[in-house]
Amino acid sequence: MQYEAHGLGGAGDLPIPAEYAIAGASAALAVSFIVMALAWRTPRFAVPTGSPVAAVGRLVDSGWFTPVVRGLGLAFTGWVAMAAVFGRDSLVNPTFGVFYVLLWVGIVPASLLLGPFYKAVSPVRTLHLLLVRATGGDASRGLRDYPARLGYWPSVLGLFAFVWFELISPNGTDLGAVRLWLAAYVGIMLVGAAFFGDRWFEHADPFEVYSSFVARLSPWARVDGRLTLVNPLANLTAIPIRPGIVAVVAVLLGSTAFDSFRESSFWLTKVQGSSVDKQWLDLAAMLGIILLVGGLFAAATMLTGLHGGQARQTLPGEYAHSLLPIIVGYMVAHYLTSLVEYGQATVLQLADPLGHGWNLLGLADRAPADWLSQHPSTLAVIKVLGVVVGHVVAVVSAHDTAMRVLPRRDQLTGQLALLLVMVFFTTQGLALLFSDPTAILDWLSAPFE
Amino acid sequence: MRAHTLLVSTSLVAALGLAGCAEKADPEAEPTPTPTTSESASGSPSPTEDAGQVVPITVEGGKVTPNGSTVEVDADEPVVLRITADEPGELHIHTSPEQEVAYTEGTGSHEITLGRPGVYEVESHDLHLVVVKLQAS
Repeated sequence: MQYEAHGLGGAGDLPIPAEYAIAGASAALAVSFIVMALAWRTPRFAVPTGSPVAAVGRLVDSGWFTPVVRGLGLAFTGWVAMAAVFGRDSLVNPTFGVFYVLLWVGIVPASLLLGPFYKAVSPVRTLHLLLVRATGGDASRGLRDYPARLGYWPSVLGLFAFVWFELISPNGTDLGAVRLWLAAYVGIMLVGAAFFGDRWFEHADPFEVYSSFVARLSPWARVDGRLTLVNPLANLTAIPIRPGIVAVVAVLLGSTAFDSFRESSFWLTKVQGSSVDKQWLDLAAMLGIILLVGGLFAAATMLTGLHGGQARQTLPGEYAHSLLPIIVGYMVAHYLTSLVEYGQATVLQLADPLGHGWNLLGLADRAPADWLSQHPSTLAVIKVLGVVVGHVVAVVSAHDTAMRVLPRRDQLTGQLALLLVMVFFTTQGLALLFSDPTAILDWLSAPFE
Repeated sequence: MRAHTLLVSTSLVAALGLAGCAEKADPEAEPTPTPTTSESASGSPSPTEDAGQVVPITVEGGKVTPNGSTVEVDADEPVVLRITADEPGELHIHTSPEQEVAYTEGTGSHEITLGRPGVYEVESHDLHLVVVKLQAS
């Protein structure tokens, strides 16, 4: 049997009204140029500073906090593993909802609010710790040092493996295949950590890299080892720049855009009329979009004058963090209904993981609240706001970075190409929410008919 | 010592890999409500067609029409799928829970209810094709 992955939870969102898309795009365009022309000329968000929150810091740093959080993470994983191995092979098995919705989508709000959420609960980190403790080793040391030139590349492969499995593979809703994917994930993480020590996770675990990147948009940071409330824009610039960082953001943004694109009637009619297998066309389209996103971004950041001795190819990495707000805005717009409504269904399924009629939460007779779907106009406003706010934060962050890394004479012209690329990403994002690419052509040509 | 960790990890992986390959359970999904079906092989219009919410569908020679296009419908009114096919089969409507429509050779009308606003894919799982997207508002 084959299902569309997001067909799991039933209906998709209605397209946003044309006026909303136009209004959003105009706002994004206007704000972008205002920021570039009128804003500050010295970097404001270069270093995270703020006020330490001693009370929360004491709680988080207390001896029991970490083990309790790790224990909860492991217990939850165990519960889901039980459902995955002994539960029914049907779409009501909570494994699907946990994997595609609670983990992949829920990781965004959790990391935005709480900081590096996945790192704290990561079951693979906990298993590694337990294994090392059992064998009397040191969790941070492996057989050899992690090669710095690999950077985030292993996590890029992991992220790609996830989005391919979810959006393209015909086996994405086959329970056995999901188990196999997760088993391979756990295996690669544990072997890698045994080899390279626990630094492996922050470079190779797709979920941890994703979560820790988004966490840089949260107000939580460590300043001189103390837990501090900081401006998220300053926090964002502190993402460690390592090889592969641009590929991480390109995969996250490109795959979300592809998810909108693949469901459009424009693409469906094209692909279903073709003699080539849909899987390969989808793969080509997703790779194409990811490469386009990464390529445009890298080229735009490099189109500038430089300091003497400054290497042009370091610029994409310097700016990579500024794409994250756009990614988060897209995620809100694209997956909010899924998180709220399919998320509720998943929690209900988790209360009966094996399909034995258990009712551990006492909510089995309740249906998920579908308020959002029932109010398409409100939902459309939230989606457009998500995309536009994400865009504005991204533009502000990119501007501040230009002030920091570019020579003074090139600070205005040097950020122009990147600004245009960001406007392009945002208007395309709105176009995909608005509806099919063909619908936009219809709308544009309507006055001439 | 560290090699020891590697060994333990590797064997754990092997065990997990086996778990991953474990045999599939009964693929029967939740029972789905069967929508009302009125067969009219002669093609005479059924009463519900007066509502104007008729979506014509053909499934012939492994091809479907309208082949993934979007059709706008009213979410509160029933929708009639008028299916013309050259062999019997089944369509899945991605409501939650999913609805199934079993059709026979020839032309038949099948009434479904969507209930809330959204975009619903009508899919043929046998052909791996999205037949039509119902945009209900």
